[in-house]
Amino acid sequence: MNLLDYVADRWDRLSLQAWLHVSEVVQSTLIAAVIGVLIGVAVYRSPIGSAVATALASTILTIPSFALLGLLIPVFGLGALPTVIALVLYALLPITRNTIVGLAGVDPAVTDAAKGIGMSRTAVLTRVELRLAWPAILAGMRVSTQMLMGIAVIAAYAKGPGLGSEVFSGLTRAGSANATNQALAGTLGVVILALLLEGVYFLIARFTISRGIRG
Amino acid sequence: MAENVSGVEIQLENVTKRYPGTREPAVKDFTMTIPAGKIVILVGPSGCGKTTTMRMINRLIEPSSGRITIGGEDALKLNGDALRRKVGYAIQQAGLFPHFTVAQNIAVVPGLLDWDKKQISERVDEMMDLVGLDPAVYRDRYPRQLSGGQQQRVGVARALAADPPVLLMDEPFGAVDPITRGNLQDELLRLQLELRKTIVFVTHDFDEAVKLGDKIAVLGDQSTIQQYDTPEAILANPANDMVAGFVGAGASLKQLTLLRVRDVDYHDDALTVVAPDSSPSDLRRQMTEKGKTYALVLDARKRPQRWVHVRDLSTASTLASVGRPVGDMVSTQSTLQDALEAILSEGGNAVVTGSRGEYVGTIDITTVTDTIQQLREEHDAGSAAS
Amino acid sequence: MSSTTEIQGFSTESGSRRADRVRLFAQPVAVVVIVGLVLVWAFTRSNDSIEAESIQAGVLLDKTWEHVLITLVVAAIVVGIGVPLGMVLTRSWARPVAPLFIAIANIGQAAPALGVLVLFFLWTEWDGLWAAALPIAFYSLLPVLRNTIVGIQSVDPALVDAGKGIGMSSSGVLFRIEVPLAVPLILAGLRTSLVLAVGTATLAFFVNGGGLGELVDTGYKLNRVSVLVVGAVLAVGLALLVDWVGALLEEYLGPKGLT
Repeated sequence: MNLLDYVADRWDRLSLQAWLHVSEVVQSTLIAAVIGVLIGVAVYRSPIGSAVATALASTILTIPSFALLGLLIPVFGLGALPTVIALVLYALLPITRNTIVGLAGVDPAVTDAAKGIGMSRTAVLTRVELRLAWPAILAGMRVSTQMLMGIAVIAAYAKGPGLGSEVFSGLTRAGSANATNQALAGTLGVVILALLLEGVYFLIARFTISRGIRG
Repeated sequence: MAENVSGVEIQLENVTKRYPGTREPAVKDFTMTIPAGKIVILVGPSGCGKTTTMRMINRLIEPSSGRITIGGEDALKLNGDALRRKVGYAIQQAGLFPHFTVAQNIAVVPGLLDWDKKQISERVDEMMDLVGLDPAVYRDRYPRQLSGGQQQRVGVARALAADPPVLLMDEPFGAVDPITRGNLQDELLRLQLELRKTIVFVTHDFDEAVKLGDKIAVLGDQSTIQQYDTPEAILANPANDMVAGFVGAGASLKQLTLLRVRDVDYHDDALTVVAPDSSPSDLRRQMTEKGKTYALVLDARKRPQRWVHVRDLSTASTLASVGRPVGDMVSTQSTLQDALEAILSEGGNAVVTGSRGEYVGTIDITTVTDTIQQLREEHDAGSAAS
Repeated sequence: MSSTTEIQGFSTESGSRRADRVRLFAQPVAVVVIVGLVLVWAFTRSNDSIEAESIQAGVLLDKTWEHVLITLVVAAIVVGIGVPLGMVLTRSWARPVAPLFIAIANIGQAAPALGVLVLFFLWTEWDGLWAAALPIAFYSLLPVLRNTIVGIQSVDPALVDAGKGIGMSSSGVLFRIEVPLAVPLILAGLRTSLVLAVGTATLAFFVNGGGLGELVDTGYKLNRVSVLVVGAVLAVGLALLVDWVGALLEEYLGPKGLT
């Protein structure tokens, strides 16, 4: 059986797994975005706070994903929960880092003017600073999503949902007829989905970043 | 000058700013009355506390002690954000919001004050007209698509959008090239003629202070007032060595910047023609009749467009493209120094325009040299008498 | 926006010098403390026979050494291929094909590491060290390759001109001006590659390549949390140490006089 026949044959299962894969990655990215932006907003005015937050987040990123997953299994068991926790933790660094860099990069003259013409503290943050940092935040989310697509494959080890299970069954059935097809379908599926998400990010950037600050 | 003053008086009494952990206050016991409808310049070396002083008026910096009233109202009792919505604020490099269009930038304060949409939109167009930016062209542009001078105009329009009685300006023209700066200064004076706001203007450039100020306060360390008087008085009679040092050399020549085009006899006898209403052959006939070799082509709103020599007309089919475009112009508000520069760059005559950019006359080198001559004679007479 | 250095790809760089300083000191200390505590705990608790089979110095050292070996081999391949390839691709005659190589390396990194590892295993039917090291190297190549190219391309053309102007040959210009100035970026890429390599090496046991991942797997399969935790913590400690070594390299091998 060649790859195309295989995919056509197992389309129902593969498309469901593809959907689950994207869904867990996107949800984890969104959770991480909320947390990361909140952390960024909380610390960006303090150089020491920024340093600690980014140092912590980048340390998390250094941890091998398989090791982190292993450590989460005894605590949270198997399935979606440890997977999402691991994915959110990994997604935090790029988003937090870019939020801090983005907010710190806002021209002080602009925030001074915003205060000077009578914007409240919250308005300065939501209408000016976060809007100006948004391209950087979105770029961080994009990097996170791409990273998570690969890590989510490993999460299938902890019985997490998604295309990783294809790769694992391909591995355990090494030598049997469809082993390679299965692993290939899982791997290529992730690559294709990652490219599609890249396109989605491009569109989001197109529609949410003001023309005045688009690169 | 019309006395429809819309500005209000600002009083600072014993205002002091002390930052935690510093021995000496940044601003010490500052008392000053800023008269309604006047431009008052705070000028001094960098670090003297002039910006801190100004920022205490809209409470971007909270005074440690003292009293500030704006139009009789105690500024320190108001909510800071509400206060700032009533005080215009323009800064160096404009501080425009890069993600907002020009119109959105100008609309911010009216929006914060909950004006209705239609009113805001009309106001935006009005403000853009006021600062000389065509709304049809610039409304939907973003700041980065504007030149430095245009950004600065938008900054001023934004500061004035909610019609505040008071305008604070912190080195607003510090980051643009000298020619643009001169134009912006002229425009500010033109605006002020109509608006009569109370303007507090911070600069370290004494020439700018002399050009713009109704009154100048020369400040020393900790914002101590060295002298607070009219530019003429400070130039003629510096209160102490520090002020004299600041005034610098050539004080009498600097007085050239105190004289404006409207104060001298410029010519108003150039032959002008409104382009859409006339044809090259008409103009040629008129020029022959009046014995002129040059004529000035105006647009429908009487704004100068092109210089035309009589010989250009023989081959021309329309007045819209004949001759050469008018280069540097001066307004009646411009100083003689600016006029001199425009005359030199135009090579003979510079066009003088009125408050809406319409033609009012021309000025040439002899007018300026005559004035210099006159000034020198007065100065000599003055020193001979003393 | 001013001098924002938002980072566009995978990288553990914090984007802040101060944060890097914090990590330079805190990371090795944290590793020693955490790994020490876990080892003390693992060796002093009463292990059953299954646990005792894994939790003994010989096994732990073996697995750690396998892990380090894979990482070293990957690092050697990445530096040996990535840097020269990057240098070649910046030569004017090779510019047309440079995007092709970058694209291949990009896809290599966009593909899930585990998928690359498993597919290589299924296709070649090799196993052991090389079955793990080669796909991991392919997967980790991009940061070094890209940073070498970007580093050399971003050297001020005036300096290259000056080099030629004083009579340097083109290889003289490359090795005495362009490469030295690109070193900081190349080192940053190497650090990222190392982190990717040491992390992916935990998956090597899937293709019989050993490494600390095997302990995690053993602990999980045999339901022995202690073994799982020891393996995972050692893997974390090793990764943090490798990252720290990368940071030290960046700090001390970067040419002085550049900021």
